Amino acid sequence: MPEGKFCNKKPVDTAEGINELLSDTSGNDYYKEMKELEVDSDLLWKTIQNTVKSRMKTWLEICAHCGMCADSCFLYEVNGRDPKQVPAYKIQSTLGEIIRKKGKVDNEFMRHCMEVAWAQCTCCNRCGMYCPHGIDTGIMFGYLRGLLYQQGFVPWELKIGAGMHRVYRAQMDVTDADFVDTFEWMVEEYEDDYPGLTVPVDVEGADIMYTVNAREVKHYPEDLAEAAILFHIAGENWTVPSKGWEETSLAMFAGDWAACKMQVESVYAAMERLKPKRMIGTECGHAHRATVVEGPYWAGRKNGQPPVESIHYVEWLAEALNTGKLKIDPSKRIKEPVTLQDSCNYIRNQGLKKATRDIMKHIVEPGFFIEMSPNKEHNYCCGGGGGFNGIGLFRKQRNIALIKKRDQILETGAKLVLAPCHNCWDAIRDLEEVYEIGIRWSFLKPVVVKMLEIPEHLRPEE
Amino acid sequence: MHDLLTGVFFWITLGVCLIGMLARFIMYFRGLSWQLDRVAYTSYPAAGFKGAVRSIYKWLIPFGTYGWRTQPFIAIAFFGFHLGAVLIPLFLLGHNLFLREKLGISFFTLNADVADIFTWMAVASAFFLVLRRLVLPEVRIMTTRYDYFILLVSIAPFITGLLARYQVGEYSFWLNMHIFCGELLLIAIPFTKLSHVFLFFASRAQLGMDFGIKRGGMKGTKMAW
Amino acid sequence: MFKKILFATSATGASDHAARVAFNIAKSYQSHLNIFHVLGVPSRGYSQVVVDVKTKERVDVDEDYTAWVTEDIRTYYEKYLDESLNYTIDVAVGVPAREILRQAKILKPDLILLGGSTGDEGESVYKKSSLGSTLQKVAKSANCPVLFVNRPAASFWGGLSNIVFGTDFSKISDKAFDFAMKVAKTLDCELSVFHALDISALHAGKMLNQDEIEQQIRESLRKIRSRYEPRLKELKGYSMDVWEGIPFIEIVKYARDKQADLLIMAHHSRKISSEDIRLGGNVEQVIVRAGCPVISINK
Ligand code: HEM
Ligand code: SF4
Ligand code: SF4
Ligand code: SF4
Repeated sequence: MPEGKFCNKKPVDTAEGINELLSDTSGNDYYKEMKELEVDSDLLWKTIQNTVKSRMKTWLEICAHCGMCADSCFLYEVNGRDPKQVPAYKIQSTLGEIIRKKGKVDNEFMRHCMEVAWAQCTCCNRCGMYCPHGIDTGIMFGYLRGLLYQQGFVPWELKIGAGMHRVYRAQMDVTDADFVDTFEWMVEEYEDDYPGLTVPVDVEGADIMYTVNAREVKHYPEDLAEAAILFHIAGENWTVPSKGWEETSLAMFAGDWAACKMQVESVYAAMERLKPKRMIGTECGHAHRATVVEGPYWAGRKNGQPPVESIHYVEWLAEALNTGKLKIDPSKRIKEPVTLQDSCNYIRNQGLKKATRDIMKHIVEPGFFIEMSPNKEHNYCCGGGGGFNGIGLFRKQRNIALIKKRDQILETGAKLVLAPCHNCWDAIRDLEEVYEIGIRWSFLKPVVVKMLEIPEHLRPEE
Repeated sequence: MHDLLTGVFFWITLGVCLIGMLARFIMYFRGLSWQLDRVAYTSYPAAGFKGAVRSIYKWLIPFGTYGWRTQPFIAIAFFGFHLGAVLIPLFLLGHNLFLREKLGISFFTLNADVADIFTWMAVASAFFLVLRRLVLPEVRIMTTRYDYFILLVSIAPFITGLLARYQVGEYSFWLNMHIFCGELLLIAIPFTKLSHVFLFFASRAQLGMDFGIKRGGMKGTKMAW
Repeated sequence: MFKKILFATSATGASDHAARVAFNIAKSYQSHLNIFHVLGVPSRGYSQVVVDVKTKERVDVDEDYTAWVTEDIRTYYEKYLDESLNYTIDVAVGVPAREILRQAKILKPDLILLGGSTGDEGESVYKKSSLGSTLQKVAKSANCPVLFVNRPAASFWGGLSNIVFGTDFSKISDKAFDFAMKVAKTLDCELSVFHALDISALHAGKMLNQDEIEQQIRESLRKIRSRYEPRLKELKGYSMDVWEGIPFIEIVKYARDKQADLLIMAHHSRKISSEDIRLGGNVEQVIVRAGCPVISINK
C-alpha cells in the first residue's frame, strides 16, 4: 500500500477530504500508513536539480563543519547539548544526505527527515546569524519541508492545515461569511461601551485594510473587537475585506508552496480590489512573514513587495502612539515587572525591534520593562515556532523546547509577558500549563485598550 | 624537478586557480534566483549592496560579531590560522621575489620576523583546529575525513616551508615539497571546500543582501551581526 | 416568562446545583431548555485538538466524538429528562464564555443559566490570561438576564416568595428593576429594594463620621422611594433598605436576612478595569457568595 488513504502525496483540497483526515483520531492511521509510503526518488531528485541553485549548493558545500552554529540553536541547548542538535549536523544529515544520494533514500530515512525538519528546527533563523559563512540553516529546513511535503511526509496537523488554506483560504474552517458575521457581532457587543464603533466591510480606498488570523474569528473574537476599538479611537479610516482577510499560512509551516501562493494571492486580490493605502495585519508573526515578507515571492512579484504597503500591527500601534493618535492614560500604565517576547518572524527577520520598544515606552511605567536576555534580533524562539506548537506527534519534543523561553522569562523576574505573536502567545501559554511558573501573558491589544485615554466625543454618555 | 615545478606547473596551477575562482564566482552570482531564494536582488541594488558589505566586513574583524565574541576560542584559532594562510602566500619576501621574476609584479613584503610569527601562528592554530575537531563532540559529529584532508592540504605548505626555512634535512628537497604542496593547494581551491576562499564573500554577500533587502534593511534596521 | 432557557453546563458535579435549578425552572414554566456544553477548549496551537474539559485529555473532535459526548450528557441528566420536558442538547468547542455567548446569539434565550465554574481546571490556564473568567465575560456581554447558581445553598428554586433587588441608581439598575418587577409580578412575590452605601475608606478617600453616614443613608432612602416606590405599590408586598459597608458583603447579608429566594442586580460592564478582573467586580463577588440564585442584567 504505497499511497495510503490518509497519508499520500496528494494535497487535500476538499472539505470532505479535510473531514476524512480529521476523522482519523490523532492521525493514528495516517502515521501507520506513512510507514508504507513509497518515496518517488525520481521526482525528488528532479525537484532538487531544479531548485537547489548556487545559494543552497554553496551553503552545503562550504560549511566548514566548525560547529560555531551549535550554541546559537536553542534546541541544541535545551536538549543537553546533544551533538545531533547542531544546526549544521541536522541539515547535513538530512537534506545534505538526500542530495548526496541523488534522492535515492528510503521510507525510514524520509520519516527521520520529517522528525528533524519539524521537531528539531523551528525555522527561527537564529543560527544563520552565528555562522561565519552566512549559512542560514533555517532557510534550508524550510526548503526541506517542501520536499517532504511533496513526498507526503508531513505531520498530520499540517497536512490538514495546508488543506484548510486550499479549501477555505484560511487556516481553519472559517468561511468569509463567518468572518464578517463574527466581526459585526463583536462590534455590536462593544458598541455600548464605544459609541459609534463599526466594522467597515469592503470599503474602497480606505487608509487601512486590516487582515487577521482565522483563529481570532473562531476562538478569540475579542481580538477583532479590540482591533476595531483601537482603529476607532485612533480615528482611522479602515476597512476589512470580506474575502482575503486571512493573513496566516499554515501552508508555509507545511511546506505546501502551492497553497502558500493561493493563500497570499487571496489577500493580494483584496488589496487590488479595495485599493487601500496600507494593509495592516494582526499581532501574528508568521502571518506577517507569510503575507508580507515571503508572500510576494510566492506570488511571483519580482520587486518582493505586496501590492500595497503592508505593515505589522506593532508598526501601526507604535506609529499611533508616537503621533498621539492614541493616547495612554499615564495612571493606567503597567506598573509591575513586565517583559516582551521578540517574535523571530518580524524582529529577527524583519527588523521591527524599534516599534515594539516604542510601544513599551508608552504603555509601561518607566523602570518596569525588563528585557529578556538575549533580546531583539538575538532573542531565542519561543519554542513553538514553525508549526511545532500544533504537532501532536512531537508534543514531547515541543515541551522540552519551551525550556529556553521559560528560563529566559524566569530570569527577568517578570510575571507578565507581552507576546505580540499568536504562536509565541500559544507557546507561552503552554509553558505555563506545563511548567507552572506563575506568569500571565497577553497580546498588546487588550492591554492597550484598557489604558486608553478616550477623547471626549467618543466616550459613552453616562 | 625544481624547474618543472616553478615552470610549467606553476603556470598551470596558477591559471587553473585564478580562472577557476573567477568562473565559479561568476557562476555563483548567475545562479542566484530572486524567486527561489526569495530575495529581490536586482530591484534594490543599493540596499542589497549595503547589506552585503556590512555582512562581509563585520565578519572579517576579529571579535567583530556576536558569533566571534561568543566563541572566543575558535575566533582566535580562526584568525591565527587565516592571517597566516592569507598573508604569507602573498606577502612573504621569498614569494614576492619569485613573483617579480615570474610575473614582473610584487606586493608589499612582510618583515622576516613577522612572517615567521604568522607562519608559526598558522601552524599552531591549525593544530588547535584539529584538536577541536577531536575533542568537542558538537564538532566531532560533523567532521569527516574530507575535513582533515582539507586542513592537511592547507597546512602542508606551511609545514614544508618551515622545514625548508630551518633546513631540517635537505633544503632543496623541502623546498620542492613546499612548492609542490603550494601548487596542490592552488589547484584545490576552486575544486574543493577551499572554494570558500572566494565563496565566503559570495555567500556572506548573499545573506547580507537578504537582510539588507528583505529582512529589515529596507525598514531601516541594520542587522546586528 | 422564560420561554427559552440556555443552560450552560460542564455536565459534572460542579454544575449540579445549577442543573437542579435549570430543570426546575424549565418544568415550572414549560420553557424550552437548551442544554449546552462546551466540551473542549482549544489547545495545541492552531491544530484542531482540544482539551476535553471533563477528562482533561487532549482529543480530536469529530462527529463521533460529539455524538458520544451528547449521549454522555443525556445519561448524566437522565433523572431529569422525561417527556414533560422540552429540551435540546448542543455541544461546542472553544473558549467557554465565547461559545456560550455565540449560542445565545443564535438561540436568543430569555435567560441564560450558568453553572458553577464551567470548565474548571481545563480552563485554569486560560483564566490567567487576559481573557477573564467565563462568569465575568458572560455577565458582561449577554443580551439577556443571566442566572448564576454557584453555591449548593443557592440551588433551590421552589415557589419564589422573596426577591431582593440591589440598586446603585444607575441606568442599568433601572433596567434591572424593570425585570425584577416583572418577575415579582408574574410570580406574585415580595420585592425588597436594597442599596449599600460604600464606606470603604479606599472608596471615599476619607473616613466618614457616623453623622455623615446616617445623613447619606437617609438621602439614599429618599432616592429609592422617589425612584421605585410608585411602581412597587403594584406588588403585594415590598420593603426598602439602605445599609452601609462593603457593598457585596452587605447585599449578601441582606439577602440572607430577608431569606431571599432570588437576588437581582445590574452588571456594569464599563467598570471592569484590569484590577477588577483579578479581584472580581461587585456582581462577581455577590455571585460567588450568595446563598440564593443571582440574576445579573447588563442591558
Ligand atoms: C580571505 C580568504 C579566506 C576567508 C574569508 C576564509 C574564511 C573562512 C571561514 C569563515 C571558515 C570557517 C570558520 C572556521 O572554521 O572557523 C574557514 C575555514 C577554513 N579555512 Fe578559510 N578563509 C580564507 C582563506 C583560506 C585559505 C587561503 C586557506 C588555506 C590555506 C583556508 C583554509 C581553511 C581551512 C582549512 C578551514 C577549516 C578550519 C577548521 O578546520 O575549522 N582559508 N575559512
Ligand atoms: S557555523 Fe556555519 S560553517 Fe560552521 S558548522 Fe555551522 S553552518 Fe557550518
Ligand atoms: S533555525 Fe533555529 S531552530 Fe532551526 S537549527 Fe537554526 S537555530 Fe535551531
Ligand atoms: S512563534 Fe514566535 S518566537 Fe517562535 S518561531 Fe515563531 S515568531 Fe519566533
